[in-house]
Amino acid sequence: MFGGLAPWIPILFLITLAAKFWMEPRGYRLRSVLFKVVLAAVTLGAIFFSYGSVKGIEPGVSLIVVLMSLKILEAHTAREFQVMVIFGWVLCLCGFFLSQDLAVALCLLVAFSLFLVALIQFHRGSSPGAFWPPLHLGGKFLGQALPLVVLLFLLFPRLTTGFRFQIMQPSSATAGFSDRLSPGSIATLANSSQVAFRVEFPDGRIPSPAAMYWRGVVLSHDEGFEWRAPDSPASIYPATIPLSGDEGIRQWITIEPHGGHWMFALDWPSAPPPGASLAPGNYLWSREPIRKPRRYEVKSSPAISDKELAPRERKMLLEVPAWLSPAVRDLAQSWSSSSHDPRAVVNRALQFFRSGGFQYSLSPGPYKQRDLDEFLFHRRLGFCEHYASSFATLMRLAGIPARVVVGYLGGEYNEFGRFFLIRQADTHAWCEVWLPESGWQRVDPTSVVAPERINLGLDSFLARHGVANGTSNTFARNVAQQAIFTKLRLAWDSINYVWDTRVLSFDAEAQRSFVAEIGMSDANPFSLFMRTLMMAVGLLAIYGGWMRLRTRPRADRVKALYGRFCRKAARLGAERQPWEGPLDFSRRAADLVPDQSRRIRDISNTYIALRYSPEPTPSILDTFAREVNAFSLATRGRAR
Amino acid sequence: MTEHRFSRVSPTAGVAGLLFVMAAIWYAAASQNNAAAYLLLFCLTSVFLISIPHTLLNLAGLKATAESVKPTFAGHEVSLPVEIVNESSAARSAIALTLPDSGSAREQVDHIPAGKAARVTLRFSAPCRGEHLIGRLCLTTIYPLGFLRTSKRITAPQRYLVYPKPAGDPNLPKARTRARQNKSSQQLGEGDDFAGVRAYVSGESQRHIDWKAVARGQPLMTKQFTAEADGLLYLDFAAVPFSDLEEWLSQLVLWVIEAERTRLPYGLRLPAVEIAPSLGHSHFHHCLRALALFK
Repeated sequence: MFGGLAPWIPILFLITLAAKFWMEPRGYRLRSVLFKVVLAAVTLGAIFFSYGSVKGIEPGVSLIVVLMSLKILEAHTAREFQVMVIFGWVLCLCGFFLSQDLAVALCLLVAFSLFLVALIQFHRGSSPGAFWPPLHLGGKFLGQALPLVVLLFLLFPRLTTGFRFQIMQPSSATAGFSDRLSPGSIATLANSSQVAFRVEFPDGRIPSPAAMYWRGVVLSHDEGFEWRAPDSPASIYPATIPLSGDEGIRQWITIEPHGGHWMFALDWPSAPPPGASLAPGNYLWSREPIRKPRRYEVKSSPAISDKELAPRERKMLLEVPAWLSPAVRDLAQSWSSSSHDPRAVVNRALQFFRSGGFQYSLSPGPYKQRDLDEFLFHRRLGFCEHYASSFATLMRLAGIPARVVVGYLGGEYNEFGRFFLIRQADTHAWCEVWLPESGWQRVDPTSVVAPERINLGLDSFLARHGVANGTSNTFARNVAQQAIFTKLRLAWDSINYVWDTRVLSFDAEAQRSFVAEIGMSDANPFSLFMRTLMMAVGLLAIYGGWMRLRTRPRADRVKALYGRFCRKAARLGAERQPWEGPLDFSRRAADLVPDQSRRIRDISNTYIALRYSPEPTPSILDTFAREVNAFSLATRGRAR
Repeated sequence: MTEHRFSRVSPTAGVAGLLFVMAAIWYAAASQNNAAAYLLLFCLTSVFLISIPHTLLNLAGLKATAESVKPTFAGHEVSLPVEIVNESSAARSAIALTLPDSGSAREQVDHIPAGKAARVTLRFSAPCRGEHLIGRLCLTTIYPLGFLRTSKRITAPQRYLVYPKPAGDPNLPKARTRARQNKSSQQLGEGDDFAGVRAYVSGESQRHIDWKAVARGQPLMTKQFTAEADGLLYLDFAAVPFSDLEEWLSQLVLWVIEAERTRLPYGLRLPAVEIAPSLGHSHFHHCLRALALFK
């Protein structure tokens, strides 16, 4: 829940917060330096004890949280609260290191805003209204900051720096996928709604859901009921396969971080995107582990083009573990001896699975690593990984080179974002066999056992067949499938997609193409920086001018008119002194400007009536304006 | 009272922490190529930039006016009442008022609603005797985020008076009372014989108000008495040779206070000024003023 933080750390935070609320109204303060030092030492020791080291992201975040907790106890002045707010913003950064999900980002936005509001409130002192006024001002700040944030985000030069520090990945990172396929490993993912990746088809050529086999990893080490990928992708070679014309299906894939190297594409990717290679077996392999959402374009062709299989490779693809039982060997032998055509052998094997009483089940019960016999001859109950691994093993025994492919099947269409969403629950395993004329051929044994699984997708299949485990889960699933919830979910997904594709994958590369698109392709980082700066300054000037205009003094007509009269009188030698009341001034001014004495007295009397009579008649203001006008007309051009 | 049109903006100490954190986030974002961290950095930067016009305009439309200051003795506290008027149509918050020319006096006004005024009294210890210029009033604000400070200086041309600090021997110099003069040199003020009434001046002793007249509905009047000039006290500057001018002025001030307190009519004779013996509020301050301004 706390992103891998030791549970006592948030608890400590809450306790110190509660303690502060208790201490503050009573005027208690933490004064003893010794106590503070002991407290700090104890908590720092506890961090070391909890994690066993102080390196890595979690101890680092814990350290900041603990320091902040202790600071809460100690803080008293506005200055100290300011320090705490800055600490809080650093914590927001730590949050982004742990996860960059949209949901997390929204939480952090709320936290960021609250820190801002708190900072405003600290500086307001005893101003009235401790809640809405600072919240209002904070909102105003964020509203005004938004265009600036967008500007900086798009145009502030992103440097691809040489310096680099590795943050240790959070140990809680979950990846549904692994390069090892053992009985039950995929079935555990069937209820995971975690997003694996999202796909757009920019050319509008969308394969049918049943044909959407997303290739992940090819497993070619047969361990009977278990399969695994080659130990290391050391034998990665650069893709040399040319694009086969225009036939390919273009995909834009935005992958969620999973910490591994695998990337996905429709069967069969014909060229790797930048930063990745095509591993033997034609699957994509990222050079760097995928730790943040990444968007790439890939083209897939409907057929694989390598038609040759080297003898050494062929030998490797026929290897089976020695412990396989005679019954299994006999079964495979019986197929291969009856026909020399590999296609016929494959069909016989599929026939075996179709008519042998096999059932597709999410919870077939536990199998041990060597339970191939148990599965094939007794229980006959399994999920896709059971079928794929046993089928491939049988094919090898029958002399047909075979391998297992793990990836995803199908996907959910999102009409708002026009993309397909592939979840961990869509994980699937299937086989590929080598046929002499046509090369590698996909064979999905699950499709003969449970054809609807392929056509409907797992969710619908489970719903229709009531295979879901647990009634509460079924209920939740039913609720989730109500139309309104489906709509909301799809809408949220598409917002997520925008966050991933437009925000999180906006890096130096994306910025370069964006800058080129808006016609500033000549911009080097420095000129880009200067332009951004100028635009920001311009924006600030607009804000400043607008705010100045909004808060300028309200026009007071009486005051303005009387001011005009005073200025006129001053020019005639009767300057009103700051301490002079209107009556005193009129007496003095009438003496100094005898020919206007009547007007001066009238103006002053009207002014006094306007200002001090309990209920001045509305017309008196017009009278006042007339009098002042008459006075300034009569004295036009005169000066002492 | 002239107002400097432009306010000055300067960073506060808190900005160092913010800049450090911004640099750290930038470093983290750039090295991790983390767009979310960049977003946080830009939010922080924008909020900081937005606070510039906010802080700058927090002083817009504010006028400060110093009011008159009562004279005080050196070493005592000067109270300077200042009225801050908010002429703008937005409330202003957290305004600090300081006197950059006269010590470390500082007062904070937390809130001035739109179109309203606030009154604060700056207190600072009086400097040496003499007449002093208030000089400048300084309005400062770090609102709303505390990373920037705006200040506006307003010249205040008023002067205030500081009397010498009273010190020395409190016993009045009896020996130096003048010999009896002729009878006509009577002094109005305080004495034993009733001489008439005049209008009451605020600050005068209430003992001499003609309360009976007040009861008849007449305005406040002060009864005046005559005292014979017998035993008039002249505090003479040159009567005794002194070593330290300020000490001697302090002594004279103390005697003025003592004489006023014991209601003994006193006069003051300085090289340039001579004040005839009398008593009362205005006479008292007249003497002290002469001593304060003595050159």
